[in-house]
Amino acid sequence: MRRVLCLFLVAGFIPVAANASLNVSIAVFDPGIPGDASLHRDLQVFPKIREIESLFLPFVLRESLVRSGQWGAVRVIPDADSAAEVLVTGTIVRSDGGALEVAIHALDASGREWIDQTYTSIDGYRLLNDDIANDLLHFRSTLDDETVSAITEISLMRYARTLAPDAFDGYLDEMSDGTFRLLRLPAETDPMMERIHRIRGVEYVMTDAIDEKFKELHAEIESVYDVWREYRQWYYNFKADEAQRNALRSNSYESGSYEALRRAYDDYRMDRLAAQEQDKWIVGFDNEVGPAIERIEARVAELNGWVEDGYREWSRILGELFEIETGLD
Amino acid sequence: MPADFSGSWERDYSRGDDIQGALNQVVMERNREIQMRQQAPSNARVGNVAGISRRELGNYIALARLVEEITRPDVLTISQDNYEIRVARKDDFSMSCTFHDGVAQGTESVYGTEVCGWEGKDLVSHLILPGLQITHRFTISPDSDHMRVITTATSAQTSKPIRLHRYYMRFDAPPSAFNCIETLSMKRVCSTAEIQP
Repeated sequence: MRRVLCLFLVAGFIPVAANASLNVSIAVFDPGIPGDASLHRDLQVFPKIREIESLFLPFVLRESLVRSGQWGAVRVIPDADSAAEVLVTGTIVRSDGGALEVAIHALDASGREWIDQTYTSIDGYRLLNDDIANDLLHFRSTLDDETVSAITEISLMRYARTLAPDAFDGYLDEMSDGTFRLLRLPAETDPMMERIHRIRGVEYVMTDAIDEKFKELHAEIESVYDVWREYRQWYYNFKADEAQRNALRSNSYESGSYEALRRAYDDYRMDRLAAQEQDKWIVGFDNEVGPAIERIEARVAELNGWVEDGYREWSRILGELFEIETGLD
Repeated sequence: MPADFSGSWERDYSRGDDIQGALNQVVMERNREIQMRQQAPSNARVGNVAGISRRELGNYIALARLVEEITRPDVLTISQDNYEIRVARKDDFSMSCTFHDGVAQGTESVYGTEVCGWEGKDLVSHLILPGLQITHRFTISPDSDHMRVITTATSAQTSKPIRLHRYYMRFDAPPSAFNCIETLSMKRVCSTAEIQP
């Protein structure tokens, strides 16, 4: 029943106010790689592939959100942006042939928590992302237009305050629980606010360029990732069947006989060969998508660097302008 | 790493044990043990002196057969870096020893456990399986051109191990006419030209 409702939501059958679209920023996921490398094999964690998934899965979620047509701009960003109207962060908890598990946290700019939940799917990563998208949309549908407007305004003021703290210090109240309340808004003709709008516009252009790179990455690796997940599922089922076969199998060979020794050796040998075949698949995956990842990561880092440099420079200039305009030292 | 085993190694058939000799040796030792026990003053009996039982002999033959099979590959390809030593063998799994922060880490599965590590300059790998233990000890010559592998196997039904010495010579594997790369969607892709991942 929930699945049916979810599909309706993604397909846009439960509309939200079209004039109050919120922008969503999805940060690249935390790959969830355990620090102790010796645990990786037992936990079936392949760090390189987790890194790729951390870049790939946010974009799949983005696509689910965009498909619903109920949001403003939906962007994948390299790092969490606390001033985002809606910020989604995630950590990959499990990703093997058995299931994909992602812990998702979504907040709006006022600090209101939308989602803090671990999603699990055994049917593939697209359905999992649809579930997250539907929950976001469901939460959004509980907010009235006034609340949505407040989120947009708080987002702008948090952005302004970070960029020009002196000029925008008294507009927000930060509560002890980490939420924000809007105290007042600057005048519509406030020259500092006009500058903030212009700067944010420029930053959005850059962020869209970064998002475009994630889109490119998604297009390049989607088909290979599908092959990988298919293989992982096959491997998982193979291991499950094997465990079942072993449970049913009687050890009828006489202890110490050639057959008993050969079986003990062959069981281990086949298990190792399967694991080594899996290693080959990992290398194959990395060989195939590695260059695209490297190229796009380099470009994203470059674009992000421009944004960060620009941000520092804008912040400095705004501070100087504020001083000149207010006559403060 | 205390020693560098990396490279291609081919069997030196002029040296080493043959399995029949190793089996004869262990059976002879067992017979001697049994006879000594029987001839001890406390066990002294009149009549024929018995030897190893048919059943025990069968267990030694079974173990020797297995050892002969698993030491059959005549080429070993060893890759080694700071994190892993991998011994690739035809028709068998690659023996692998990984090192995390310098500590050797074996492999564990529901079927058995592989423990590995350095003993001086020797690389030693123990495979512990239900009712069977196999140890490979790799030793490299001072000039690094020769390698000895001692394989020792014991089963739950044998009191003495079967031990087999194999010798290998380093050789330069001829360069392949093809450059190959593993991919996921197209499997192994080969070309006569250089392949960039």
